[in-house]
Amino acid sequence: MKLLEEPIREVLTLRNYIDGEWRDSQGKLLEVVNPATCKVIAKVPLSTEEELKAAVEAANEAFPDWRRTPPLARARCLFRLKELMEARFEELSRIQTMEHGKTIDESRGETRRGIENVEVATGIPSLMMGYNLEDVASGIDEYVIRQPLGVFGIIAPFNFPFMVPLWFAPYAVATGNCVVIKPSPHCPISQVKLAELVEEAGFPRGVWNVVHGDGTIASYMLDHPGIKGICFVGSTPVGKEIYRRCGERGKRVIAQCGAKNFLLVMPDADLERTIASCLTSFFGNTGQRCLSGANLVVVGEGQADSEYKAFYRKFVDAFVDSASKIRVGYGLDESVQMGPLQNKGRKERVLGFIEKGLEEGATLRLDGRNVRLVGDWPHTCFLNPTVFEDVEPDMVIGKEEIFGPVAGIMKARSLEEALEMIHGNPYGNAAAIFTSRGKWAREFQYRVQCGNVGINIGIPAPMAFFPFSGMKESFFGTLHGQGQEAIRFFTESKVVIQRWF
Amino acid sequence: MGQGRLTASAIISFSKELEEDTRRFYEEMAEAYPQGREAFLAFAKEAQKGWALISRTYQETVSDAMETGFSFEGLDLTYYQAEKDMRAKGYVEALKKALKLEEAAVRFYSDAAERASSFLATMPKAFRKVAEMREARRKRIQALLDNLGIRRD
Repeated sequence: MKLLEEPIREVLTLRNYIDGEWRDSQGKLLEVVNPATCKVIAKVPLSTEEELKAAVEAANEAFPDWRRTPPLARARCLFRLKELMEARFEELSRIQTMEHGKTIDESRGETRRGIENVEVATGIPSLMMGYNLEDVASGIDEYVIRQPLGVFGIIAPFNFPFMVPLWFAPYAVATGNCVVIKPSPHCPISQVKLAELVEEAGFPRGVWNVVHGDGTIASYMLDHPGIKGICFVGSTPVGKEIYRRCGERGKRVIAQCGAKNFLLVMPDADLERTIASCLTSFFGNTGQRCLSGANLVVVGEGQADSEYKAFYRKFVDAFVDSASKIRVGYGLDESVQMGPLQNKGRKERVLGFIEKGLEEGATLRLDGRNVRLVGDWPHTCFLNPTVFEDVEPDMVIGKEEIFGPVAGIMKARSLEEALEMIHGNPYGNAAAIFTSRGKWAREFQYRVQCGNVGINIGIPAPMAFFPFSGMKESFFGTLHGQGQEAIRFFTESKVVIQRWF
Repeated sequence: MGQGRLTASAIISFSKELEEDTRRFYEEMAEAYPQGREAFLAFAKEAQKGWALISRTYQETVSDAMETGFSFEGLDLTYYQAEKDMRAKGYVEALKKALKLEEAAVRFYSDAAERASSFLATMPKAFRKVAEMREARRKRIQALLDNLGIRRD
């Protein structure tokens, strides 16, 4: 199978986008490496505090005019941005594959989900409307006006380098705020390409800024008094710290964090379609997403022991067999179903978990350390799918986020027991049930303490017009990204009570 | 690209090739056989429309959260491939080749529609729509052969 053409042909030197200009950074340069080929594709600066300050200053200077720009005019900038994103859809997608490693279908899916957020935000003239009531007392009317706050910081993760900032930025600017985006230093190219389109779409200077860097720049963002709120997607320890520090400084926060997602397979599940959905869930994006399946619980509700044993074996064998056939390689090869881990360090971290699973006594049914690839690529960042059986909820591999292509299979004799397993885990990002029975599905949906729930859906990723939810250690904040909740996050509610003498 | 665990992207690329080959084939037929020129040019134009529909629908509905990597498992694309050599010795042979091309395409789009059922609804619908377009074209070619009193091989 021949590769799709790579859109990046020479090493890019990335710059910051500040006040409508592309500016060289004085910071040290880091190499951005394509994890499939191990070739350097870009150099990204670790920007200085001064450069961040310049971006925040530019954003604050742009804010008064931007907030006075009619919402319809702001929406039109977003319409133009959407058109440009559609026109460059394929290039944007292939860049994600090159910098992250995900397959081309996954990258296109990410591009689509990013665009959908821009589409939703174009509805701002309706979405931002307040509400009112006449005669709250005699001759007195009361109404709510939604107003923007100023400048928001967006700290992006490596795993969805294009989409995640778009859970926030379109809503922020649509409501009249300005943004400073810090992309992941591992996958910064997508945000540069997006900012180029923002520039082409004619957003006024200073409304949309991009400052490259690592945790140091993120830390400056938390402390900067010119930033009113932070949107973050990443690990739970970092999210907690951001929540704490922003709380101390009076900033708003959306911190969407780690996960350990359980997928329940009930005895009446449609085997073939459940397996396809589970493969996507556990191994899609090489397991590097907060909605990925982590623990696959085979539930024997209502079954005799012998029936359960047979059902368990049939399902697990079919799942392992399918996982073993997943074609791993460079995501620009259209026959490939799973790409590499994003970098060598992430692979080593996953290898550590596999070792830990063996130490803890789990049974390694499929060993992804035996790397088999489609194509002749360096093995540096690659692993094949890995499946453990006999995983217990209190094992490290059963309770901690691995963020790689590793499935842990657990047993539960009842739905009740499976729910207890889920609730015993500190995370509450996503959970799914596969069943043909409405009663079980309803019971699960009603009781499960997770923000994103799938019923016969392995990756319960909310569409742009719904909030991307999350509970417990998976989320810190009050309002979530995307849709109406994002509109509320990026606006103050001003209440006016009036009467005329 | 043969049998195996095909991704959605591979299916879309196959569709692109199929529609491009089809367009080229009918344009060449229009050039070579004036008696069918109008119909062949219309078929070529339809092939462009078919590809536009498939590519637009895919771009507008693709989602990494659905089973794009696994939905087309087991499809054997060689079963749907047009003949390598589409050159014909005469009008009748060209029509017969066209018939085979359309039959293969109807099979491909019908099977793809069935496998795409786990995507957002518009994708199987687009495959079905192109299958219908191809089927209508197959009938028109069959009618041209019938008018000439030609039986199928």
